[in-house]
Order: sequence, then C-alpha cells, then structure tokens
Amino acid sequence: MNTDFLLWALLVSPVVFGLASLTGESEKRSLLLMLAGVGAQCFFASLAIIQVFSSGPVIDASGWLRLDALSAYHLMVMLVVYGGSSLFAWVYFISEMNAGYLRLGQVKTFTSLWCPAMSAMALVLISNNLGMMWIGIEATTLLTAFLICIHMSRGVLEAMWKYLVICSVGTALAFLGTLFLIVSAHDLGFSSGEALLWTNLLNKADQLDPMLTKAAFIFILVGYGTKAGLAPMHSWLPDAHSKAPAPVSALFSGFMLNAALYCVMRFIPLVNIATGNVDWPLGLLLGFGMVSIIVAAAYVLFQSDVKRLLAYCSVEHLGIIALGLGIGGLGTMAALFHTLNHSFSKALSFFAAGRLGQFYGSHEMEEMPGGLKVSPIWGGALIASFLALIGVAPFSVFMSEFQILKAAVDKNMLLVLAVFIIGTASIFIGMLQHAIPLAWGEQPDGIKTQKGSLLEAFIVLFPLVILLLLGIWMPEPFRIVLEKAAEIIQGKFI
Amino acid sequence: MSNIYLVLVILINLRLLTTSRISSCINWVALQGTLLGLYGLTAHWSHVNAELLGLAAFSIVLKGYFFPRVLHRSLRGVKAMREITPFVGYIPSLLIGLAALALCQWIGHRLPLPDYDISKLAMPVTLFSVFCGLFLITGRKKIVMQAVGYLVIDNGIFALGISAFPQTSLLVELGLLLNLCVAVFVRGIMIYNLSRVFHHMDSHQLSTLKG
Repeated sequence: MNTDFLLWALLVSPVVFGLASLTGESEKRSLLLMLAGVGAQCFFASLAIIQVFSSGPVIDASGWLRLDALSAYHLMVMLVVYGGSSLFAWVYFISEMNAGYLRLGQVKTFTSLWCPAMSAMALVLISNNLGMMWIGIEATTLLTAFLICIHMSRGVLEAMWKYLVICSVGTALAFLGTLFLIVSAHDLGFSSGEALLWTNLLNKADQLDPMLTKAAFIFILVGYGTKAGLAPMHSWLPDAHSKAPAPVSALFSGFMLNAALYCVMRFIPLVNIATGNVDWPLGLLLGFGMVSIIVAAAYVLFQSDVKRLLAYCSVEHLGIIALGLGIGGLGTMAALFHTLNHSFSKALSFFAAGRLGQFYGSHEMEEMPGGLKVSPIWGGALIASFLALIGVAPFSVFMSEFQILKAAVDKNMLLVLAVFIIGTASIFIGMLQHAIPLAWGEQPDGIKTQKGSLLEAFIVLFPLVILLLLGIWMPEPFRIVLEKAAEIIQGKFI
Repeated sequence: MSNIYLVLVILINLRLLTTSRISSCINWVALQGTLLGLYGLTAHWSHVNAELLGLAAFSIVLKGYFFPRVLHRSLRGVKAMREITPFVGYIPSLLIGLAALALCQWIGHRLPLPDYDISKLAMPVTLFSVFCGLFLITGRKKIVMQAVGYLVIDNGIFALGISAFPQTSLLVELGLLLNLCVAVFVRGIMIYNLSRVFHHMDSHQLSTLKG
C-alpha cells in the first residue's frame, strides 16, 4: 500500500472540515461537518496504524513525520477518545440548542477549533522532529483555550486565563529543555534541522552531553508535566476541566493530558542513555508521580463539584502513569496500559457528568442525587465509570494498577508502594462516598426521568465493553502492541 | 560585539523588575526583543545568510512592533496603568533579581555551550530571563504583566535558540515565532475580555475558582 500521503492526510483533513464547518448554515450542519472531519482523520489514521503494526514505522517529510509503535498506540487511544467525544458533542450540543442555550456562532466557534485541535494533537504524536512536537503541544493550548469559553461567564474566563498562562509558561519551559538537548548534540555533526530529529538523537544518545541533558530533562518534565497536570503544576486543571463544556473536559482528561505525557516519554530513552543508563530520569518521574497521587488524594475528599472531583482524579491517574514509567520494566508497559484505561473511563465519566449536569442544571453533587432514576443510561455510565476509575475489578484499570503495584514490589520500592496504596485507597473512599448518592439517592422533585437514544447507549457501552474485556482478557496482538511501545520508551529502538 | 546586546538584555530585565508603569514595561520588553533580533545577526555575522536575515527581521517586526501594539491595544479604556502594590515590592524585586543574576551566571558557566562560536553570556542570559519572566508572572498583580512576563521568558529562550541557529532549523524557529504570535494575540483578546467583564485587571482577584 502506498502510505506516502497517510500522515499528511490525517493532519490536513480535520483542518479542512473544521474550516468548512464555518460555512454551515445551521448548527446541525456545522456539527455534521465536524463529525466528517473527525471521521476522515479516523480513517487515515487507522490505515497508518495498521501499516505500523504490519510492516513497521511510517515515515514522511524527510523523516520529520514518523509513526512508530509508541505513537501509533497513542494515536489509537486518541481516535477512540476524539471519536467518542465528537459523537457526545453532537448529543450534548443538540440538547443545548433545543433548550435555547446555544447559538450558531458558538457552534461554529466550537467546530472550527475542535477539528484543528485534533490535527494539533496528531502532530504531537507523529512528529519525529522535537521542535514540531512542541509546536503541536503549544497549538493545542491555544486552540483549546477558546473551547473552554463556548459559554462565557466570569468563572469560565478565569479558568481560561489560568489555563493559558500556566500551560503556556509550562510549554515555554519544555521548549527551553528541548533547546538544551539540541545544544548538547552540537558536536555530533548534525546538519541544520537534523539535530531536532528524535531518531537521530536516539542513535547518538550516548554522545550527548550528560550535564546539559539532565538540565534539559528537568525543564522538559516540568514543562510538559504542567500541561499533563502533574502536581504540583496542576493548578489550572480543576478550573479548566470544571468550567469547560463536557465534551471538552472529556477530551482534556481523556487525551490532551496523555499527549503532554507522551512528549515526556519520547525524552526518557534519550536522557537515560545519555546519562549512562542509570535510570536517572525515572527517579524524577517517580517523584512527580508520588506527589500527584498524594495531592489528588487530599483534594478528592473535599470536592463538591462532580467535574472538579473528576479533574483531581485525573491528577491521580496521570500520577499513576508517571509512577509506572518511573518504576520501569513491567511498570512501563503497565503505565501505557493505564493510559488507555484512564482515557476511556475518564472520557465516559465526563460524558455522564456533563449529561446529568444538563438534566439537573448543576454539577454540584449535592444537587444531583439519584442519577440512575433520572437517566438509567447516564446514571449507569457515571457509576460504572466511577467504579472503573477507582480500580474495581473486573475493569481494566484494576489490571493496570495491579501490574504497576507488582512492578513496584518486584523492584522492592517500598515507599512507592506505600504512597500508591494509601493514595489510591483514599481516592477509592473519597469517590465512592460521592458515587453512592449520585447513583442511588432520591430523585429530586421536578427532575423528570430522561430516556436515552440509541446513540447515547452506544457512546456509553463502547468504552465500557472495552474496559471490561481488557480487564478480563488481554488479546495477544494488543499485548504485542503494548510491548513494542514500551520497548521504545526503554530505549530499544524499533 | 554581540555581548553588548546580551548585557542590555540583562539590564532591561532588571529594569522590568523595578518598573511600575505597565506601558513602559511593554515598551522595554519590545526593545529587548528587537535587541535579540540584532544579537542574532551579529552573533553569526561571519556566516550570515538569507535565512538568518529573514529570521532576525521577522523576529524584530513581531517582538518590536506587533506584540507591543497588541498589548497596548488591549489596554485601551483601562484606567489602572500602574502596578502600585505588587506582591513583591520593587526594591526587594531588584535585590532578588541581582541574586538570581549571580546564580544564573554560576549555573550558566556549569552548563557550557559546547564549541559554539558565540558569547558565553548566552546561557546565563537565557536562565536569567526565564527567572525574571516567572518572577513577573507570579510577583505582579496586573494580568497584563503576566503577558509581559511570558514575553520575557520567550526572549530568553530566543537568545539560546538564535545562538544555536542553524542547528535549530529555520522552519522550527518560524513555527515558534508564529506560535508566539498567536499566543500574544490570544492574550490580548483575553486581557480585553477580562477587563471588560471583571472591571479590573488584578490577577489576585481572579479567585472565584478554588479547591
């Protein structure tokens, strides 16, 4: 199969449809054009992913674009989250339009930014050039900032400003780290632009200046970690997640955080090899992972807004992923598995919180009891996703967390083990105490029972079935994909 | 010769730490950006080419003209043009800045640029600018100062990026500048909207979202 056009096509197609959606004469037409853009990227990206796992990396633009096992795995997660969130956006915004809360201009703002944001995230994943990868991350910040304020209010503006200021500073620091790395490769004889290619740097990683490389990784981890919502740089995350429309919150937690952490993953093998394979970068990841779990555990217990609760839960899960990466070995593979599990379950939980919020007119948990009675579909989705997120078996989150625990036990990391168990146990209690009344409380007077559509049932069941299946049985091809992706982080170049 | 530009960048950073008038801060940061564009030319004067000329010119136009214009426009109709009671006073800011300068110089000499034919000041200037930018973002109350702080950080990063040119390719440098352009534009819109909705420009009053 001729794959020359695939990477370009998956980058360009959503932008084209995003711009086309501006010409839509009705809200529904704009939303349909957005769905077409997302669908087009899903099609081209699926072809590219198949190509990667059947015959190796797909390379284009003189090596500047490259899809390997690690990026293909993340792209796969992105497609599901983006596809699901786009379908949910249709349901969510149609409901708002019917209630008279949304105008054509707002829909066009959403669709014209939503699609290019998808391209920007794809650019992060398929860039072999570390500078382009950074541009992709910064572009996601700038594009998604306006997605937060589809409905303008004081709280929304405040959240957007914090998001913009904190994440932009974070990404600026990440770029400084990238520059340090390029500077450290000065003596290696790369021509203009070649020094930014990840593959080139990895091939000569043992010749990079160790001191500069260490400084680079500190800036990269703090910078991209800010965008990934790792504590203590997470302060933008609860505000932006709670104030954004539900499809945007789902995308933020479901994939944008992963995209930033993916950037960190790309630098781990470079820094590890440059510093003599003594797992120097892994120690830093362990530190940030543990702090994130502790901070999230403390805050989850005292939340009253369901979306803020879920946002802090994201801080915890990104911390768990960082912890898995920091443990290394089996932990790396488990961290990648956890990435998928968290993305699917968190996107679903934001869908449910957003939809129930529309029925109740509030996201305050005290004001939204009895979700199962109000909407069996979305109430069920909320309780199921909460159970998945707190790691209840047989959901696959349980399996990935168990594997990370096992990896910590195998490496005798007692402090990590203690923090992980205490942190996740606190969050288990904190979220369960909220989940029970949310699902089984008394239905408030004046709140009608809502019937769901077939599309809504599909949006709920698709991720749930995957989470259940992967919790019970991991198919061999999927295990191989995870192994290949983990090997790239571990510096075994594929 | 190129050292003069970098020393001026340091002095502007110190000036920004002690300036209360917001429009002056915008003008100083614009001058800083212009000086860095000129620094790029003089640092690589022996092998200057069309790419470098274009990059320096683009950077000077953006940082010296476009960015200050956007920020000045976003301030139109806003009364509070001075940072009267910053979180950290101006004398302590200057003292902290001088201490940070010494620290950045010390760190910069331990992170040498390998075999680059450029000023040894490039690394300390970058680190000091990043520090000053972060200090302005966290130590000042007016939201427009957060945009100024971001530009100072970016100027510092640009100092290192232009030093490493052409190893950092033209396309990436241009991408970086375009991203910055959008970032400043977005900030301009935000500052305008925030001042219109909140009727103030104090970041410490943006505190309805807590916990």
